[in-house]
Amino acid sequence: MSESLEKLQNRILSDARLKAEETIKEAQAKAQQILEEARRRAQKESEEIIAKAKVEAESVRRSILSSKVRVNRLRILDEKNRIVQDIIHTVEDQLSSIARTDQFENTAQRFVAEAVKAVESDQPIVRIGFRDATKKNLDGMSRVLPKGGKLVIDEKPIDDFGGVIATDPEGRVVFNNTFKSRLERLDNQLLTLIASTVFSG
Amino acid sequence: MSGIDAVKKVVETETQARRIVDEAAAKAQKVISETREQAERIRQEAVANAQGRREGILRDAKEKAEAEARQSDQETEQILDTYRKLSDERKAAAVSKAVELILNA
Repeated sequence: MSESLEKLQNRILSDARLKAEETIKEAQAKAQQILEEARRRAQKESEEIIAKAKVEAESVRRSILSSKVRVNRLRILDEKNRIVQDIIHTVEDQLSSIARTDQFENTAQRFVAEAVKAVESDQPIVRIGFRDATKKNLDGMSRVLPKGGKLVIDEKPIDDFGGVIATDPEGRVVFNNTFKSRLERLDNQLLTLIASTVFSG
Repeated sequence: MSGIDAVKKVVETETQARRIVDEAAAKAQKVISETREQAERIRQEAVANAQGRREGILRDAKEKAEAEARQSDQETEQILDTYRKLSDERKAAAVSKAVELILNA
């Protein structure tokens, strides 16, 4: 009786120890799984942070550089524009002073002839006005007018830099052949010419 | 041994066995709980490391971009100098051609 009781007790305890051991083993296995999962997730999270950081870094780099490149391009454009404008001002000064040169009479006669031809009238009215032009060196302009034409001499330069404006008698057709008007008409050619002369090659 | 004594012995043994199982369950629970804490520490440490690397990456990118920006400034200054020199050398020719264009076009 007592021997079989002892066996029963041992069996009960042995089962309990076995169950306890299994419980611990299961817990350890689950713990291992939790750690592996945690490491995997941590790795994934880290990689996501680094990947985002690389994208963000490229964006920061582009932002700094593009804003600097934009500013520098504008500085270059401003400088080119300043140089071109400076040359145009010198050109305007030289054109304004043309009456003091030996080119004047030929040029003025040509401007008058072009303007008269453009208005296509037998009785054109031609206004002429250049800085420093004397009545003497404008008198010759009458030669290029048709018989019915009229020359009006302005004491001041027309349109700031001087030139010629022709109209028909009714004032319906007007041809502006002043330096200012020629500068405007030839604006694109002028800018291209100046830029290619200064900046090319 | 009487039958009652034998039953008492069995009850005592079962109580002892239950205690062994309960202690193992508690220990298992503790293992899981500590492991979860360790897992959280692993995650936090990894994230902190990654954040540190992120700061480094951003700092490097900014420094590199600023160096490139300084380079762009230097190149721009050189271009501006070149334009100023060209303007000094070629202004007279450009003015002459421009006047010619306006007079004769």
